[in-house]
Amino acid sequence: MLFEQMKQALITAAERAGLAQYEIYYQVGESVSADTLKDEISSFSSGVSGGICFRCIVNGKMGYASGELMTEEAMAELVEKAVSNAECIDSDDEVFIFEGSPAYAKREAVELKLTDPATVRDNALRLQRDTYAQSDKVTDGTQSSVMSSVTEIRLYNSNGLELSNRVGVSCAVAQAIVRDGEEAQEGAEFAEGEDYECLKELPAKAVREAMEKMGAETVETGKYDVVFDGKQFRQFLSAFSSVFSAKNAQLGLSLLAGKEGEVVAAPFVTVTDDPMRTGCPMQTPFDGEGVATGRRAVIENGVLKTLLYDLTTAKKAGVASTGNGQKGGYSSPVAIAPYSFSIEAGDASLDELLEKIGDGIYITECKGFHAGSDAVTGDFSIESAGFRVRNGKRAEPIKSFTVAGNFFDLLKEIDTLGNEVRWGMPWGFTVFGSPDVLVRSMSVAGK
Amino acid sequence: MMIAKALAEEVLACAMGGGADFVELYGEITRNNRLSMVDGKIDRATDDLISGVGIRAFLGTKTVFASTSDTTRDGLLKCARAVAAAMGEMRTVERIVLTERMFPNIHPARVIPSSVDAKARADILRAGCFAAKEYDPAISQVSGVLMGVDHTILVANTEGLYTTDRHIRTRMAVSSVASEGGVNQSGFDGPGAGMGLEFFDTVDPAAIGREASRSAMVNLKADYCPAGTMTVAIENGFGGVIFHEACGHSLEATSVSIGASQMAGKLGQQIANPKVTAIDDGTIPGAWGSVNIDDEGTPTQRNVLIENGILKNYMIDRLGSRRMGMPMTGSARRQNYGYEATSRMTNTFIANGPDQNEDIIASMEYGLYCRKMGGGSVNPLTGAFNFSVAEGYIVRDGKICEPVRGASLVGTGSEILQNIDMVGQNLERAQGMCGSASGSVPTDVGQPLIRVSSITVGGR
Repeated sequence: MLFEQMKQALITAAERAGLAQYEIYYQVGESVSADTLKDEISSFSSGVSGGICFRCIVNGKMGYASGELMTEEAMAELVEKAVSNAECIDSDDEVFIFEGSPAYAKREAVELKLTDPATVRDNALRLQRDTYAQSDKVTDGTQSSVMSSVTEIRLYNSNGLELSNRVGVSCAVAQAIVRDGEEAQEGAEFAEGEDYECLKELPAKAVREAMEKMGAETVETGKYDVVFDGKQFRQFLSAFSSVFSAKNAQLGLSLLAGKEGEVVAAPFVTVTDDPMRTGCPMQTPFDGEGVATGRRAVIENGVLKTLLYDLTTAKKAGVASTGNGQKGGYSSPVAIAPYSFSIEAGDASLDELLEKIGDGIYITECKGFHAGSDAVTGDFSIESAGFRVRNGKRAEPIKSFTVAGNFFDLLKEIDTLGNEVRWGMPWGFTVFGSPDVLVRSMSVAGK
Repeated sequence: MMIAKALAEEVLACAMGGGADFVELYGEITRNNRLSMVDGKIDRATDDLISGVGIRAFLGTKTVFASTSDTTRDGLLKCARAVAAAMGEMRTVERIVLTERMFPNIHPARVIPSSVDAKARADILRAGCFAAKEYDPAISQVSGVLMGVDHTILVANTEGLYTTDRHIRTRMAVSSVASEGGVNQSGFDGPGAGMGLEFFDTVDPAAIGREASRSAMVNLKADYCPAGTMTVAIENGFGGVIFHEACGHSLEATSVSIGASQMAGKLGQQIANPKVTAIDDGTIPGAWGSVNIDDEGTPTQRNVLIENGILKNYMIDRLGSRRMGMPMTGSARRQNYGYEATSRMTNTFIANGPDQNEDIIASMEYGLYCRKMGGGSVNPLTGAFNFSVAEGYIVRDGKICEPVRGASLVGTGSEILQNIDMVGQNLERAQGMCGSASGSVPTDVGQPLIRVSSITVGGR
């Protein structure tokens, strides 16, 4: 097959260049998706993409080159470019071509395959039909999308390490637009699964979300007790996940640097990274360097237990790699990132959380983290929408306000956790999850 | 030429076999190179070659799209057959005849980044990062990247078009962190252009580093911004992100053509203060967001979107044009062959207005002056937007006073357009990457100093 052929071409070129330490990383994915508008499939796509990355150590420095063109000449060029790139590195970080871990976890025995195109279309059309059927206020612009992807990963290195994995996800989004007079609102719901059975609740949820936002006003500026929907709170973990990277800590870019063993969160908060989470389609037994991954608590009962390490940062810190040296795509350099990363659930239901704050805000939408958060400082100021909470119950909808604070304070100020972790959509090998979260006295800017 | 004319003809004919009324073939070879530096050392040097094709068929306003990184003849035909099969019933197609066409190159580059040795490029990056570090002893960390993109595209379609274009881009970005007493603050500068490495004849790398550190130092001395509704002045350059987010995305055919935009159906209406004229111009020579032709082969143009507050035009790609019954505007863009092109911005800015910059600040009794903006995002349906203020100052009695940090601006597009009540005269553009349905594309934002009479400032 193609990978074997390209591997041989790279090995030959590497030997000719006198390289003793090198690695070949191959990642090729296939995807299919359908989008609808009104009652038709408006767009149907399929794609094959991916390539090969060659990296090698020259005089103690690591150089990379990658490409999608699978020819022998292209492979020879990759080796040449990787060598020349290694020669311009002046970082003193020790770099490694890995020898292999003693054991690797086994994936769940689930056959991963691309959803067949007919099912993709049918599901999209059915979602669309069911979304329109929810209410006569559902209007054009409403879209349903169904997608499926499968990615194959192969890793080979000069120590003879050979690893392979397949990951894939099938999922759907219903995005409802409802109109009432001049006002239009939108609601979107996402679910994983290939069978319509897994998707059938999306239309009602999306339309309900849009309808509930109707007539929202902004809220008075002030301090409020806040309940975050887990779907929103997990965005905080995503936006600030880089503070758990040992690389950022070693560079002085994370305020968690040197805090292993210290209290960094409320005493009942546990944050876990779980590469082989049951049911997760992106189960990953090895990282981008070939190191075995493993489940671990990053924060346990409020105490920072470990940061996330790759081989280079682990060596510097005198610890073992945690298997978090990921390659996001075939061309990405190794970078530290989590897998299934979540705050573990507590035991309060949403009703109990709202009851507990009595008077406050229930946040069901947070947007613009890429602009409104700074992982170096921990500061955030996030556009939000949701509902006022009065007498312990959800009251009128509110919008266009910001909630501001600092992530490191926020971890300590968590008051109560909800009883169910809500997982997001995988992005690369990473997916974030969080239960609903109650935080007291947050700064809210509205009118 | 990456795909010979005869092969392109064969592939288009094959893809037409499913009953489409139009098929387009997009081929791409892109060489990306990137150097990064942190802690005073070059720590990453990478080269990547993106190579693939995307084939899209239209039948009215329905589209089928397939893409592949397998650019052999077999790979292309397999991709074309997938398109035909997904479109509908098979039929035979008459021969497609392509005519090669060349468009003028108005963004010539001299020094192609991928042809320059990594060591020479590393010296440019060092100059920027070292200057940032030397700016002040409180600068605790500096990271920087130098990126070069050499992007060649081929567009062929069943209207007979067969053309190529090559576009070179260069960008350097430096992030500085200033630390004091356990507090970190950051600053950023990241200029780029549709030029080769000769870009650094026009911009001093060291000045990029110093600017990042200057901003970090200002923030280190700043207190949190107070929250509330106030008058805000937004400086030129990246301040234009306010228009990009608050209004630009809502003027893209992608959302307008399906009615999912607050701006749909408003052509000819007064949607902004009469002082506001806004333009999307993909023809500015050597600009970061410029291209000779868009990703559907249409030459870019200067689109006046809003003139004296009146909505004049949208940004329209081929699909949008079919849906809306309006001409294409050279606005079709895609990150790479794996994405379907859709309507996007190029270089989008608010034009100079009638007010003197001094008068704008002098007019403010109390408010916020945003010298540098960060990024933001918008919901095109409702126009609700947010963006962060990267460097801000309180204005009191017409004078710029102490710096404040952690502020963000939130509101809706239609509101802020009416509330831009003063427009100054120092138009400048700045560079960014815009992420949307067809991936991440380079865009310029821009404006002169403007005043927004009232907007919600998020702070604490």
